[in-house]
Amino acid sequence: MTAELVVGAVAYTANVVPIWEGIRDYFRDSDAPMDFVLFSNYERQVDALLAGHVDVAWNTNVAWVRTLRKTGGTAQALAMRDTDLTFQTLMIGRRGSGLAGLESLTGRRIALGSRDSGQARILPLWFLERAGITADDADLVIFDSDVGKHGDTGRSDLDALLAVTEDRADVAAVGINTWVSLTAAGDAATGDLEVVWESEPYNHCNFTALDSLDESRAATWVTHLLAMSWDDPEHRRILELEGLREWVRPQLAGYTSLTEAMEAQGIADSW
Amino acid sequence: MSLAFVAQLVRTVGDTASGSTCVVPVDGPADVDVIATWCENTGNTVLVVLPDSVEIYRGRVRDPITALAPDRRPGYRLWVYTNFQCNLACDYCCVASSPRADPRVIDAVAFADLVGEAVGAGVHELYVTGGEPFMLVDLDERLRIAAEALPTTVLTNAMVWQGERRRRLEALPREGLTLQISLDSADAALHDRHRGEGSHRRAIAGIRLAIDLGFRVRVAATLGPDAGDAEHELIALFDELGLDESQRVIRRIARQGVANAGLVVSRESLLPEVCVTAAGVWWHPVAAIDPAMFVRPDWRPLQESIDEITDELRQHRLRGDVLASTFPCA
Repeated sequence: MTAELVVGAVAYTANVVPIWEGIRDYFRDSDAPMDFVLFSNYERQVDALLAGHVDVAWNTNVAWVRTLRKTGGTAQALAMRDTDLTFQTLMIGRRGSGLAGLESLTGRRIALGSRDSGQARILPLWFLERAGITADDADLVIFDSDVGKHGDTGRSDLDALLAVTEDRADVAAVGINTWVSLTAAGDAATGDLEVVWESEPYNHCNFTALDSLDESRAATWVTHLLAMSWDDPEHRRILELEGLREWVRPQLAGYTSLTEAMEAQGIADSW
Repeated sequence: MSLAFVAQLVRTVGDTASGSTCVVPVDGPADVDVIATWCENTGNTVLVVLPDSVEIYRGRVRDPITALAPDRRPGYRLWVYTNFQCNLACDYCCVASSPRADPRVIDAVAFADLVGEAVGAGVHELYVTGGEPFMLVDLDERLRIAAEALPTTVLTNAMVWQGERRRRLEALPREGLTLQISLDSADAALHDRHRGEGSHRRAIAGIRLAIDLGFRVRVAATLGPDAGDAEHELIALFDELGLDESQRVIRRIARQGVANAGLVVSRESLLPEVCVTAAGVWWHPVAAIDPAMFVRPDWRPLQESIDEITDELRQHRLRGDVLASTFPCA
């Protein structure tokens, strides 16, 4: 009997359980059976991967950069979601504010999310720095709503946006997934808001493994993962829950900006 | 409408596991519309809409209506009570018909309008019932319109085909029209016990007349707890009359109307069959005087009535499916 590959994931919402039970069921009776383990935060998951308690970690981009740093660059990315290749940060302001582009945010109140969120804190600060706006050039309004989850819950994004509507901030940095979720309600939520700036695309999650994982086992698992099809109703149910149309092989260039941002901001390996 | 409302919606549903439900407070139809739009766009399902809240199912639910066979979906079949007066006063009548019942007649013009809308709404079969429909001397005008538009069945006790009614019966088209005649037992004792002395003899005569006149005939029996072996004897009689399987209906008494025993039915337990009377639209023809089964006072437009019943059935089924999948055993 083939040994199960153990995949770690973070329980950022109750919905994680049916998602991973569905993925596990998909792998049952394949050549690459798997099981999953849930963690309460990404730091503990990264530690578990390094300790060999899990074979693969479903990591955010921040967790990926940390794993890469702690393994001296030898960790490998096995697969990603198609949506992980086109992530963006948006700066959202009140419609008609006249704000446009990062340069217009000098002296403004900028709402940022959790300190461990790539999309709502780390990258926005880096993008602002590159535009010539430091923390001293703006009034940063901070929402550390869901530390440990790397922004997965979207909670700090929503808190930042509410600050804009309540005139406690002029703009909010949010992940594009949060904005898309709100615009799904039509103009009801976002009619009074507008995108002031949007970032270049960057990477988000990937399945991370140590280079010690048996190459054949990893390849078999990835092959079966990539075979999930949007056209199969049962596969589609899982794909929709996890927010993708298809799994793809990793493309790592999109992690460059976050890697540079975390180094520039001196972010420690763990909080 | 505010970002705060939608943000709360996103958070509440986001904290809910797939296959589970959550409740979002609302403050009017605008909130409900926003939730419906958001659910449609995000792959979630509105389960129940209440005056002050909406229950949402996390994830997509297969429309339970599509899971029904086409002929079991609301609107496939339309029942019309042309009138409520009857020459009999059967003790189990689900709509308490009798010679003294308020007639509540649907006039020929309204009937024609209803048939026209039924065709447009995709109705496949029309059932005309009462009371005794042939108490209306001009019933043939309605039946002619109906049979020309849709396969039509008229439910009758076959006991009033005399004089002018007999003449008009003979002039009816044979194509597209079925006479469903009530007969509860092979022998007179059981039938007459519920329907009145002599009614069995006259019903048998009516069945034979209808067959001789070349009508497509179906015989329907209503069996109560005192039926005993009546079902076996009925089957033998059906064989003798030359009725095939499609021409036989055997059903149990429902606890409706003047019946004080029988199957208890409710909107939650009974698959609807859209039913129109002079008073409006009802969930099912077996309960066309039960206030709990009343749907709306005006059938117009008929498509809207069908949609309203379909939506309610969908909600009953969705709630049932969710409860079945989430009810904890321990």
